[in-house]
Amino acid sequence: MAARRRTDLRHPLSLSVVHILLALADGARHGYAIKQEVERRSEGEVRLGPGTLYEAIQRLEDAGYIEETSAKEDPENGQLAQRRYYRLTPDGWSVLRTELKHLARLVDHAQAHPRLRRAGPA
Amino acid sequence: MTWLWRVLLLGFRADLRRRHGAEILSAIAAERREPRYQGVLGAARHGVHTAADLLAAVIRNRRASPEGPPDAGRQAERHTHMDTFRQDLRYACRQLLRRPGFAAVAILSLALGIGGNTAVFGIVDSFVLHPFAFPDADRLLVIGPSFPKLSSEVAFIEVLSPLEYEDFRHARSFAGTAAFDLGNRNISGGDMPERVFTAFMIDDAFPVVGLRPLLGRGFTPDELRPNGPPAAVISHRLWRSRFHGDRTLIGRTIRVNGNAATLVGVMPPALLLIGTDLWIPWGGSADRVPRNRRQISVIARLAPGATRRMADAELAAIAARVAGDHAAQFPEYAGWRLVTAPFASGVLQQVRPAGFLVLGAVALVLFIACANLASLMLARATGRQRELAVRVALGAGRGRLARQLLTEIALLAALGGLAGFAIAWVAIRASNSLLPAQITAFGFGAAINARVTAWCLLSAAVAVVLVGLLPVLQTGRADPNDSLKHETRQATAGRGARRARHGLIVGEIALAVMLALGAGLLLRSFLNLQRVDTGVDSHAVMTMRLTLPQEKYRSGEAITAFFEQLAGRVEALPSVARVGLTSQFPPQEFFRARVLVEDRSPSTGATLPTANATIASRGYFDAIGMRLRAGRTFDDRDRAGGPSVVVVNEAFVARHLGGLPPLGARIRLGDKPEQSPPAQVIGVVADTANAGAASAPAPEVFVPMEQDRDTWNQLFLVARIAGDPMSAVPAIRQAVAAIDPDQPVYAIQTLDQAFETSLLPQQASTVLLTIFAAVALVLAGVGIYGVTAYTVRSRTQEIGIRMAMGAKRSAVITMVLREVLVMAAAGLAIGVGAVLALGPVLSSMLFGVSPIDPLTMAATAGMLGAVAVAAAWRPASIASRVDPVVALRYE
Repeated sequence: MAARRRTDLRHPLSLSVVHILLALADGARHGYAIKQEVERRSEGEVRLGPGTLYEAIQRLEDAGYIEETSAKEDPENGQLAQRRYYRLTPDGWSVLRTELKHLARLVDHAQAHPRLRRAGPA
Repeated sequence: MTWLWRVLLLGFRADLRRRHGAEILSAIAAERREPRYQGVLGAARHGVHTAADLLAAVIRNRRASPEGPPDAGRQAERHTHMDTFRQDLRYACRQLLRRPGFAAVAILSLALGIGGNTAVFGIVDSFVLHPFAFPDADRLLVIGPSFPKLSSEVAFIEVLSPLEYEDFRHARSFAGTAAFDLGNRNISGGDMPERVFTAFMIDDAFPVVGLRPLLGRGFTPDELRPNGPPAAVISHRLWRSRFHGDRTLIGRTIRVNGNAATLVGVMPPALLLIGTDLWIPWGGSADRVPRNRRQISVIARLAPGATRRMADAELAAIAARVAGDHAAQFPEYAGWRLVTAPFASGVLQQVRPAGFLVLGAVALVLFIACANLASLMLARATGRQRELAVRVALGAGRGRLARQLLTEIALLAALGGLAGFAIAWVAIRASNSLLPAQITAFGFGAAINARVTAWCLLSAAVAVVLVGLLPVLQTGRADPNDSLKHETRQATAGRGARRARHGLIVGEIALAVMLALGAGLLLRSFLNLQRVDTGVDSHAVMTMRLTLPQEKYRSGEAITAFFEQLAGRVEALPSVARVGLTSQFPPQEFFRARVLVEDRSPSTGATLPTANATIASRGYFDAIGMRLRAGRTFDDRDRAGGPSVVVVNEAFVARHLGGLPPLGARIRLGDKPEQSPPAQVIGVVADTANAGAASAPAPEVFVPMEQDRDTWNQLFLVARIAGDPMSAVPAIRQAVAAIDPDQPVYAIQTLDQAFETSLLPQQASTVLLTIFAAVALVLAGVGIYGVTAYTVRSRTQEIGIRMAMGAKRSAVITMVLREVLVMAAAGLAIGVGAVLALGPVLSSMLFGVSPIDPLTMAATAGMLGAVAVAAAWRPASIASRVDPVVALRYE
């Protein structure tokens, strides 16, 4: 880790970065699986293009929020050698928790507003 | 597309590229397989999404962690290992990434210019330049006569007689010649009798066009001889649609108009001889056809080593000899010529002008895009003058700097060209799906081929030269001493550059004005064409064509009986209000005859005038909604054997009766009218658009169907329908089948459709030119914005001083806008001047509007003014908000 530049990730994190971190909360995934998981969770609302995805992965890696892990066994996947799997680091967990707390507070505030109260799922 | 993604990947910083490059590529490939990216549109969408995603990611990647100063060791390594070009390319990439907005505008405008050019070239190429898949198509000629005594027109289809063909068929300039007559034949057997566009061949045309049959063979000399064994060759299309691509078909017997013929060959898929699908030997002998019955078309292939000029000279000698032999009997031979033309141009005369007009127009769009970019580059070059001066002072050669600039422009042109190619690809596909079925059925369609790709590259290369010229010259002129001395006054120093920039904008505006004026004029003339009084009531009229096979209907009585019975049955249908039969109806004319008016007979031997000669049944005038001006139309009195009568139109009265009272005038019609019996004019009808909406009405004579001596076996049924015209088609088909179950009907269309189709070339060029004009105005707006924003930025200090001295905001705005409006006015003047100079060329394409049309000019000026003000507004208002204190401190 020490060798890595600690690139400054701007706070608050962008929504797509939060989505990526969240997708890794279940366990290690490779890049394309992260993308698919994000699209599944957001019901297609958040689409990560390959460029955006790997650029973000690089930044998260540089910031020390995620790290590469040894590849999982995946019998279906013939291209195993090419793929890197990532998981959250302790730093990543803590920044995700903080970020979600911020978001929860934001939603609470929004819910207090009379005109926004019904913005959530009815 | 993968290579494009690889190129874009180069934009990422090296660490990211090395670590994730392969995975990004495989993710792109995986994404492409997703359901939402399937199909042609899906592929296009995937391309656009991916390109946008990569560009955005590249920009973020570069912004997030700007490259630190490379250490000296790496720098040295670079110099030894990277050649200059790669270094320039890298530098160019970095320059573009530093200003993504500029890069996007530049690439987009080039993409529009190059893409538009490529798309239009693709369409013009496949419809005008290379519509036929013949080898060495430019050595394939059509030959037609020009008879100065008859008319000034030169035509190539159905224009010569077999004897005239005999006169020159063995000319030495030709490797081979062939002639054909066109007609229709019924192929029967199977589920439905089918009517097929047929060429009757004198000599084998297949070797002449240079195509070999896909299956079987062409015709043998024996089969081409009069009364030879009947043989037939069919098109690929007919083979597929009617015979289901049956490969065992060769040698079998098919029935053509009820007669047996051996199928000897199937041609490859290509447009052959004007879209015919069935080829059978003509089988007549030339000397039994009168010399002046001209109904065949002739093609010829130049002999090796021969040129068109040599062929023309040989044909001229032959024509002179024929004139010497036959001019006494056929006066039209005096001064006649045999004219050659490339096959494509002879066949597609009508679409050519529109095609070249559109190609010229879209070239203007590219020029505008280039001018735009050149002015942006100039503005930037001026801004970078100090940087360049420093580099010159540090020892960079001027050539090197120019190279670097050109590399940057070439990179922009390459990216713009790629995007343009994608635009062209989509546009060409879209244009094919918009083509009416009448055209696609002939096998026409645009495609991206090597020529189109080459055109795209050429457009991009032209763009590099046009964009690069001025900025590169400017680099050469910059004197490092001057530039470094005038460090704070860079804007005022580049007076030449400023003039060049403004000149470019003025030129750009002038081109946009030309396009806008052209589009406006075409639009007005198209609207005029649609408003033309066609002389008929085209609403709710259904038309279809019937051709009775001569083998089955041998006598005139049988043909007349069929059509009379048909008219009776169709008129009895509840949905049909009125029905008529005719040999031609507006907007098309096929048949003309010579006219001789009694008591006004010209001296013998003089060339007789012609008029459209139309066979019409009693109901025709009402069915099509023609207006009666005097007398009556046909009724029960006008039977076969009764006194011969005709109805004429007003144009005929004006042109040919010269003051005689029309009713009761006696006229003779025919190839040799002096030998025909006279007929009395019993009625005059109003003129119709019988030569097309764009032409003046032609004189027309209507002959009652029952009294027609030649008994036409091919007539159109015209029915006025109560309600939706198409709804009556099944009932009419049933009425035909009740009389003769083997009789096909075809060419089914409403009269409205017939008029619309006839205006298709005008419509297409109007729509395209309007799109180009809109793009041109937007590009001009972008150019104006760019230049004004730059001017305002570089004059911030001056503006600050003015405001400190008490200038009002409105005065600053006025100052900025005035400059823009002066440029716009200059561009307007030049553009209008150019259109006026082109007036004579343009007026041939216009209808009912003069090239000097005040309304169009006013509208263009108004739009241009609006665009100019809109484009300059933001920079102007920024200028007006300049804070004098800040501006004076600003350096």
